[in-house]
Amino acid sequence: MRIGLPHAGIVLLVGPSNSGKTTLLRKLVDQKEILPSEIISSDDFRMLVSDKDFIDWRNRPQDEAAALMDEYQEISTEAFEMMDALIEARCRLNKLVLVDATHLWGDDRKRFISLAQKNHVPITALVFDIPERVLLERDEQRDQPRGKKRIKQQSQVFRNEKRFIKKEGFASVYTIKETEGLELFRHVNPLDIELQDGIDVIGDIHGCFAEFVELLEKLGYQENPEGLYVHPFGRRFLSVGDVMSRGPESVRTLQFFLRHVEEGLAYMIDSNHGWKIARWLDGRQVVLSHGDEKVEEEFVQYEKEAGSEKTLELKQQLKEFLLNAPSHYVIHKNGVPVLAAAHAGIKDAFIGKQSQAISDFCRYGDTGGFNENGKPVRKDWTVSHSRNLLIVWGHDPKPKPLLINNTINIDQGVVFGGELTAYRYPERDFVSVKAKDVYTGTVDNPLAEWEKNRLNPPNISKFLHGYSVLTEDVGEVKVPSDIVKPAIDAVSHFTVPIEQLVYIPPTMSPTPKPSSLAGYLEHPKEAIDYYRSHGVQRLVAEKKHMGSRAILFLFKDTDAAKKHTGIASLGTIYTRTGKRFFDGETEAKMVHQLNNELERINYFEQHETDYVLLDAEIMPWNLKAKELISSQYAHVSENALVDRGMLKSKLEAAAKDNEELAGWLKEYESKLANVQTFNEVFQKYCWNVESTESIQIAPFHVLAHSKQTFFDQPHTWHMEMNRMLASQSDLFVETEFKIISDEASEQEVVRWWQEMTEDGHEGIIIKPESYIPKNKGKLLQPAIKVRGQKYLSIIYGMDYLEEKNLARLKNRNTGKKQKLALKEFALGIEGLTRFVGRESIERVHECVLGTLAMESDPVDPRL
Amino acid sequence: MQLTIRATGENAKMVSYLLAKNPNNIYERNQKGHLVRMFYSKFNDEELEATIFVTPDPLEMLQNKSNSYDITHYINDREFAVSSIFCSFIRSALGTALNGQPNEEYSEWVGHRFPLALEFGPVSSSLSDKQLEGLFQPMGYEVAISRPEIHYSFDLKEKSSARTLTLTGHQTLQNALRHLFVLIPVIDNYKHYFIDEKEIDKLERYGEGWLEEHPLRELIYRQALRFKEVYSLVEKPAANELIEEPVKKARLNDMRYEKIIETASRLKPKSVVDFGSGEGKLAVQLGFMDGIQELLAVEPSQTETLKAIRRFEKAKEQAGFVEPETLWGSLYYYDERLKGKDMIILCEVIEHIDAERLPKALDTILHAYAPESLIITTPNREYNELYDMDDHFRHDDHRFEWTRKEFQDWCSERNHQGHYELEFSGIGEEQELQGQPTQMCVFKRKVNQL
Repeated sequence: MRIGLPHAGIVLLVGPSNSGKTTLLRKLVDQKEILPSEIISSDDFRMLVSDKDFIDWRNRPQDEAAALMDEYQEISTEAFEMMDALIEARCRLNKLVLVDATHLWGDDRKRFISLAQKNHVPITALVFDIPERVLLERDEQRDQPRGKKRIKQQSQVFRNEKRFIKKEGFASVYTIKETEGLELFRHVNPLDIELQDGIDVIGDIHGCFAEFVELLEKLGYQENPEGLYVHPFGRRFLSVGDVMSRGPESVRTLQFFLRHVEEGLAYMIDSNHGWKIARWLDGRQVVLSHGDEKVEEEFVQYEKEAGSEKTLELKQQLKEFLLNAPSHYVIHKNGVPVLAAAHAGIKDAFIGKQSQAISDFCRYGDTGGFNENGKPVRKDWTVSHSRNLLIVWGHDPKPKPLLINNTINIDQGVVFGGELTAYRYPERDFVSVKAKDVYTGTVDNPLAEWEKNRLNPPNISKFLHGYSVLTEDVGEVKVPSDIVKPAIDAVSHFTVPIEQLVYIPPTMSPTPKPSSLAGYLEHPKEAIDYYRSHGVQRLVAEKKHMGSRAILFLFKDTDAAKKHTGIASLGTIYTRTGKRFFDGETEAKMVHQLNNELERINYFEQHETDYVLLDAEIMPWNLKAKELISSQYAHVSENALVDRGMLKSKLEAAAKDNEELAGWLKEYESKLANVQTFNEVFQKYCWNVESTESIQIAPFHVLAHSKQTFFDQPHTWHMEMNRMLASQSDLFVETEFKIISDEASEQEVVRWWQEMTEDGHEGIIIKPESYIPKNKGKLLQPAIKVRGQKYLSIIYGMDYLEEKNLARLKNRNTGKKQKLALKEFALGIEGLTRFVGRESIERVHECVLGTLAMESDPVDPRL
Repeated sequence: MQLTIRATGENAKMVSYLLAKNPNNIYERNQKGHLVRMFYSKFNDEELEATIFVTPDPLEMLQNKSNSYDITHYINDREFAVSSIFCSFIRSALGTALNGQPNEEYSEWVGHRFPLALEFGPVSSSLSDKQLEGLFQPMGYEVAISRPEIHYSFDLKEKSSARTLTLTGHQTLQNALRHLFVLIPVIDNYKHYFIDEKEIDKLERYGEGWLEEHPLRELIYRQALRFKEVYSLVEKPAANELIEEPVKKARLNDMRYEKIIETASRLKPKSVVDFGSGEGKLAVQLGFMDGIQELLAVEPSQTETLKAIRRFEKAKEQAGFVEPETLWGSLYYYDERLKGKDMIILCEVIEHIDAERLPKALDTILHAYAPESLIITTPNREYNELYDMDDHFRHDDHRFEWTRKEFQDWCSERNHQGHYELEFSGIGEEQELQGQPTQMCVFKRKVNQL
């Protein structure tokens, strides 16, 4: 007799004492079929909790026997409790456990059955049906015989119970009458797939066979003479289900998968439509709707062409195929699970397990009731995914592959006129094919629905208690609740509307180390050294304009704006904190003028875009900062001039008669000179603005167009765009830049910096040539600012260069700023990528809000 | 920050003994890196001139500043302006003179009134020249105020915000210094100085004999004890502050709350959302409404919410109060917790929001939260005519104020699905032409949610 043990779950041994349970298990351990740690026996647990595995109360006076029975009961209770806990832990971990105890009573067995059900693991019974005579013989040979009376009792119970066991809910029941010649083997987990040469996970096909074949070809599969699509490198494809229904060629697609799965070239998992069709084919009472009726129609047609016999045979095959499609697959790389594919979703605790509940969850996702239109409410199961294993799923059409919380939705609604997507693993990229038609869903088209809901107000509960954003470039960015709240306050009172607030520029770190030169706090050398030490050779040095940072969101026309933001305006210009840069009237004027200029150079048509998003500096400084300049810089300057001027005169007058004062006088002469520098520096960035003509805008990044972001373009490209824009415009100005590629160009940049900063100019920004610089997979500072000696007096104070001050300032720690810069940079890219991908504004906003939060102060913990 | 003391006349030299500083030496003391310095520039039988000043350590001064991430962190007038910080720096250097305890042989000069000139500055003050004069004139000073000329390369400001004061008059040195030690902190716009009850002591000590009779006593106390809590300890109960406007305003506020409570009571809501609840003045009254079971006070601002929480905590002591739950929320986000309530109230909220952002927010309220009723109040712009306020809005933060027609049209547009019945009314004293100062709309649900 051969018995197959499942890869995981509970195996319950059932039989009276002496029926050979323990003996069999020992043998299996010796044969290395099972591990000793896979066996759990109640005797062992009695031993563990009480040092006794057996208590004999035969031949004892009644009072003693009663007390011993009590003790035995007590020990058993404790032992079983511990044992259950251990069994359950192993079930949770999807391990096998063989339980060695008599399990004579139905209640005992039921406890384990529900334990297995609860943990979605199979439970098997190995029933030892051994004649009473043999049992009694064996007992006599034991070291500690259980006694005739007890054996007979057990045997009696067993005889009564054994006929019920089959109906109790075991996945399988094996009755063993003779342990001699018994062979056991282990099944592997049918849900596991080893990655081998790569997997292409395919989204919901819904009978769009033409698109599917096109996609396979795009992925490199080639049709062989037998009509099978085979990949030259041995890759295999895996469908996340719903290969049929709604679309034009369900039967053909199903046949295709049937063949390829049988040949070991493909996999297909269970799905809501698949399950419905399976049950229909099985002859069960189901109502075919939501495009399932089209499958029936196809079969009618098929029958007309192929005859009833062939149809019946196909139906039979497909029924088996669909009924047996697993709820999900787990892809292993070198034996380690790295990816799970499920149709509508999966819980972490379900991965690698099978049960009806799991199948349902994988087919329909986390459903919770119905909405007012009678449609099931799809709950967001992705939020609870916390394992470091990627889940790829379909079912719920989104316009673009949606990466949320280490899950990827690859149903791009090809049947609704969207796209059919493949996710390539381990390459981690997408290949997609556009639908050739809108096959269904003129009403209730989920892609249209998604579009309609895209601009819905973000759900505040997602943010309030803190949240994290999964970014492509630095992974998870945590945004704790104490900094989120003030950011929400800002968004509620001061910023441009959420739909327009799609990007906030990241903060930027100064040189990680202070200048090693005396008299300098910052110097280009340290920035260049930083990049060199991280393996970056080509750098771009851009002149830093001194004005106010601004994001310009400029649309082709108001229709385009309405389409992307829901707000019909030609555009908006906002600050680093998300506030409108100009007053409404000036903004309208500026945006209008910019629109005219861009139209004049045919910008939108030429680049086939509805909008352009620019990252820029707007000058003069006083345009935005007049109040700050007046109340801070000028005010401090005036006070310093008065204070130091008066003291200098007084000291001068008194020093004539008092030599002791010479030192103080010298000190104050130099201090007065410091104020004068300070006073000149801040005025340098200011001029009167009588009309928009006096305003200068220096766009240094072209962040995005409606179809793409430009984070993949080097800064030299962005500078070319800047030149192009400036050459055609009254408002845009050029940004000077130089490339550092060797010693000579480095020297040149240092000279250039020296010259401009001596003139009071702010300084330069040094960037690696590529926009997203990485070294060994780790993100580097995307840019480092190197400010001039004079300019820094308006940052660190007019006397910052005095030796004792500079020495202390050189101890500044840029660590926090650098970390912040990386996080905000990653959030910016992530948010904008989502916006361009037409994801919901809520998903864009979580990135924007994150950056705003990081730039705000924490709030009172009571709130 | 500097103070120059000039004494003239035949006894001028005596001042040096009162100061207890040798005119032949320069004086310098280091206080945590800040240098307190003094020197004499004149010392003869007719004239004495001594200057005490501080050369601060700019970085040390920032140690306890709260806005350490502010761009202007290092740009600070505290290094220069004559302020309470200055007073504390020079207090020990001038201790002898301030306490009137010179070497015994000179003690007769403590009470001597010298012809004195005190020059100090720069001062950074929001008080007008006139107010500054008013502070010193009652003690018999002549006050001269000088302001430097300013020239900027672009239009920045009309006049300098740095001033220097020169006081001349016959005063004992001790009194002159006491005047300065009390009034310098009053003059200064200090922001970074913690004030506690010790300040009251100081005021009483240095103010002895002149402060009680000072015509600007109230102002001096209020300015010196900047924080209300401290000020209230010395506030005279009969302080006759007559400010008309706020009274009128308070009255309208009360009427508004009354009307809302009255309207709400008629609709008998069990669950109410006070959206934009601010410091909780309305919510606290709603908490006493009959039949109310659940009250949500939604507000995105932390300072306001903290005030509201304090208010609710006080109200809890009274019987029958349903404590509002404060929610951090805003009109631009969706919040499931606000769905399906009996009533939502927007009391003087909409006018604080850019008009173009409102329709979407109201759509969320009426068609996603779908309360049984919604009450909106907002100013009636027509009424502003009676306030004689030109084109200004009633509050700096108002983004608009509407006429009755504008408001009514706007409300009707919000009800584009026709789920609600609208009822308009006014709050406050009614005028034939201009109506009432506040207008109100009650949206009542006609259609039951599916």
